[in-house]
Amino acid sequence: MGSPNDIKKGVVIRDPQGIWLVVEFQHVNPGKGAAFVRTRIKNLQSGKMLETTYKTSETIELVAVERRDMNFLYSDASGYTFMDNETFEQVTMPADEMGDDAKYLSEGLKVNITMFEGRPLAVEVPRKMTFKVTESMDAVAGNTASGGNLTKEVTLEGGIKIRVPLFIKQGESVIVNTETGEYVERAK
Amino acid sequence: MKKDLITLRSQTVKKIRQFFDEREYLEVHTPRLLSLPGQEPYLDPLWTIAHRPDGWTGEMALITSPEYTLKKMLGSGFDKIYDLGPCFRDHEPWDGSHDIEFLMLEWYRKHSSLSDLINETEELVRFVIQDEFTIKPFRRLTVEEAFRLYAKLELNELIGDDKAMKAKAKELGQTVGTTDTWDDLFHKIFLSLIEHRLGWNEDKTVYQPTFLYRYPASQAALAKRDPNDERYALRVELYIGDLELCNGFEELSDPIEQRTRFEEEIALRKTLGKKTWAIDESLLAALPQIGECAGNALGVDRLAMLQAKTPNIGDLMPLPIKKRLH
Repeated sequence: MGSPNDIKKGVVIRDPQGIWLVVEFQHVNPGKGAAFVRTRIKNLQSGKMLETTYKTSETIELVAVERRDMNFLYSDASGYTFMDNETFEQVTMPADEMGDDAKYLSEGLKVNITMFEGRPLAVEVPRKMTFKVTESMDAVAGNTASGGNLTKEVTLEGGIKIRVPLFIKQGESVIVNTETGEYVERAK
Repeated sequence: MKKDLITLRSQTVKKIRQFFDEREYLEVHTPRLLSLPGQEPYLDPLWTIAHRPDGWTGEMALITSPEYTLKKMLGSGFDKIYDLGPCFRDHEPWDGSHDIEFLMLEWYRKHSSLSDLINETEELVRFVIQDEFTIKPFRRLTVEEAFRLYAKLELNELIGDDKAMKAKAKELGQTVGTTDTWDDLFHKIFLSLIEHRLGWNEDKTVYQPTFLYRYPASQAALAKRDPNDERYALRVELYIGDLELCNGFEELSDPIEQRTRFEEEIALRKTLGKKTWAIDESLLAALPQIGECAGNALGVDRLAMLQAKTPNIGDLMPLPIKKRLH
């Protein structure tokens, strides 16, 4: 048994409809109602997505999953393959299940994989990652967001596009928050 | 500290003052510390102890909104007033759109209806934010229409019917527990399928400012009921992107009904195991004098977040709560 307060990305919930993986979650407090956790969950048997909301005071059944550190090896038509460097065991995550985070993968990258009954459910890349700026144009006058938030778009290693402050130059490295996909700071 | 964003927040405050000053509203400064703060069951004031030199001590709270004092002022003869200052709410998530201390604008206008209020709010937002999404007209959607559009539900058939509501919630994949009230299930459906879509166009690429109005009466403790359909109350919220910007009412001015609703709120606070305090009798006494009146409470930091294009309320503050702890 568990509480909706323990819901996080990658947590697995069991209910009469089956086993569900939490894909997205958000704590919500509407002011005129109790505290809730809004989620998007995926049924691991049927693949069906569901948007559902739990009151934080209710009880739900959380299923124990295994979390393992693995390293990215390669991608091919079957998906993204990772290896446990101690046991040499390999697992493959289908491309459509890997989602947007695939762009952060490079050979050897250490990730945390949620395993359930021998199959990978979710791949978590490090929250903060450093990338080199491979392409950057000099700032153009008028190329500014309202409110004096001066940024420009640059391309990072692996083709990632991101907005950074004007002082970032080509060849420098920046730290990216992989949860939001946003620039954090210049890497030292 | 993000100097440009903190500056932007100050400019937002200035523009708001200019808007109301040009419309001949009076800016007033109501107290932050009260012994009888707002008692909405799901809002929690921060309490402290005041000490008088003669040894008397008493509990007082930082306000969750200036509403009670502003209504007392309306009752004493003020017609068009606004308050812009900090408010405090405990037990809210410390996330991108909440801080324990935030800037709230609250304004009231007598001889004004809910639809006047919606129009004025749209003018205010357009005046403060001049951006591409403010060019198009803001959408106006009743809660009933939103349920039809996003959840394919006829809310009229569900209001006051616990059994039907439970069945529909289950059908939509929500958990339905024995302690879930009608309002809990309303929120589960609203939060799962509706709220996060209101401020966006269909494919979630462009902001679509949307006024959501006419809520089930159980969701609007200080609003007047819709004279055409008593099951609904004249409450409005504005959504832009992922942010909920404001909450307004055509104000309830009937002290008898207001007393009943306060008593219900106190009962619910007790059920939830929360602190309770006395009904503010001087507020009830002021209500009959406010007549036809509409008022709105708007999160100023969130209005600045939209201009700054930041998902993080703390970016606009010199010291957000997370940086004040030691």
